[in-house]
Amino acid sequence: MNISIPVIAGLVILGLLGIGLYALLAVRNLIKIIIALQIMVKGVLVAFILAGRLQGDMVTAQSMALVVIVADTIVAVVGLALAVQIRRHTGKLDTTALTTLRR
Amino acid sequence: MNANTAFTLVIGLPLLGTPIIYLLGRLWARQNGSSSAANPARWLAVLILVATGVFTYFAGVGATADYTGISHDFGGLTLTMDGLGLFLAVTVLALGILVTLFSAQYMQGEVGEEKFYALLTAMIGAIIGLGCATDLFNLWLWFEVMAVTSYFLVAFYRDQKASLEAGWKYLVQSATGSTLVMLGIALAFAATGSLRFDELRLAAASADPLLLAAGALFIIGFGVKTALVPLHTWLPDAHSQAPSGISAMLSGIVIEAGLVAMLRSLGILYATSQVWGYLLLGFGALNLLVGNLMALRQTQVKRLLAYSSLSHVGYMLIGFGMAFTFAMPNGAIGGFFHLFNHALMKGLAFLAAGALLYALYIAKGHHGPLVLDDLNGASKRYPLTAFCFSLAVLALGGLPPLAGFMSKWQIFVSGFETGNTVAILLVIFAALNSVLSLGYYAPIVNRLYRGQPSQTVQEGAKISPWMAAPMVILALAIVLLGVWPSLLTNLTSRAALGLFMLMGG
Repeated sequence: MNISIPVIAGLVILGLLGIGLYALLAVRNLIKIIIALQIMVKGVLVAFILAGRLQGDMVTAQSMALVVIVADTIVAVVGLALAVQIRRHTGKLDTTALTTLRR
Repeated sequence: MNANTAFTLVIGLPLLGTPIIYLLGRLWARQNGSSSAANPARWLAVLILVATGVFTYFAGVGATADYTGISHDFGGLTLTMDGLGLFLAVTVLALGILVTLFSAQYMQGEVGEEKFYALLTAMIGAIIGLGCATDLFNLWLWFEVMAVTSYFLVAFYRDQKASLEAGWKYLVQSATGSTLVMLGIALAFAATGSLRFDELRLAAASADPLLLAAGALFIIGFGVKTALVPLHTWLPDAHSQAPSGISAMLSGIVIEAGLVAMLRSLGILYATSQVWGYLLLGFGALNLLVGNLMALRQTQVKRLLAYSSLSHVGYMLIGFGMAFTFAMPNGAIGGFFHLFNHALMKGLAFLAAGALLYALYIAKGHHGPLVLDDLNGASKRYPLTAFCFSLAVLALGGLPPLAGFMSKWQIFVSGFETGNTVAILLVIFAALNSVLSLGYYAPIVNRLYRGQPSQTVQEGAKISPWMAAPMVILALAIVLLGVWPSLLTNLTSRAALGLFMLMGG
């Protein structure tokens, strides 16, 4: 198989998404869960840039990637703020603290 | 009034009003202390939303003049209010104004009351924008703004363990879904080189595997927000732990906005594959069954109502599935009609449950969940609230003279019109599920009107007219739409037309 830049980028996308999804399911620490979400979004960012390169429209792709970075940072900030509150009220920083609503 | 100016104001007012509401409320709270009398932020929010409603009327007059709707260029970003966008704006404003009025007493004296009104207004503005987006990336952006504001609102009681947990679950699941939507957008962009609905629709005619994958990602990603069944686990927690006004908004509008986003994105991929319609029908049947079975075993009122939202999303999915699979206009019209009715009915049910929760628990300073046993004999202490609540659950169950029956009927009719055996069996299955749902709605009415009021109910606080008025308005609307369903036909058929034009039919 010919190893070109699109192939490498595709592998990077799949790898980042896979790592993120696995981490999302496997880790229990709240901050690590936010990091897992971030890793998935980074994979998507590479996908946007690859799509722009394939279509020869880097301007649109890069502007979309920048907007995604901003939106995604806001989500991460909200998530970390929630994690801080959870730590304050339960004394723990992992999902085992979150067991009151199980039914 | 010029329709274009009105449209600009419809988009701009709620979003520009948000910081003003917050600043005004914050300054006022700083001068007067948070626990004293009414914070003016609430009245400003109501004012802004009512003004937006008035401008929506003028924009709507322009948007319904022809079939393409009205467009406006916001600095390189084109937004179009077509039938579907107008329908979503009307629905969200109708429920949003009533919820804001209701929350005036419900949220009185809560920490950060002004943030509540600012975020609620921002969420309503984002949903209006979502209906008017004309390209996929913009659709996702409005969707994300709506999601972020609703994260805050779900976890609004930030000193309650349970609502923090609900907010966390909601955030993680919703953010994962939105990441998958982004990946879908990247794939669609890679396949066609454009994200505008009209260009993508033409480019999507071939069965490109990239576009198939993008459609699947849209279903999963928006499906988290729409609460398709295996992806629904955040919903009962978030709906039951949020402040009751927000429960009404989440259940009545936010999950439906996810559905509208999904329909828009699948509509432009309509030519790519036949499978979308079958998927919608399949998820619809699954949602009906799981929602009803889970609701039957709940003991908390708000959790029960949350699970019943799952089954009502199922009815809408069946209606839209009929539209996608068999090109049945009645399916789409009935789906949109049910969407509007569900906003009214579930809004009323959550507001009535919230009024009882407020009177029995929150006014006494604790957040204990409202359980079914608390409803016993509540009609003796709260006759009006009990009446509104029973009207809402009977309408949700689909009893004939009320609004819920009419929209379910239209969806079922569209299934029979197809003449397809599987579609007819599916309709019969949905009708049986409607009967099953009475298995948990009827006991609520029974409890409200029979049985002896418990100690908690007898010592409950008073429900003020400000809380009762929105409930009465919603109850009147449900009865009115039940006996006169053609009132809304103009709006719903234009929404369906907007969807079919997207599909290129």
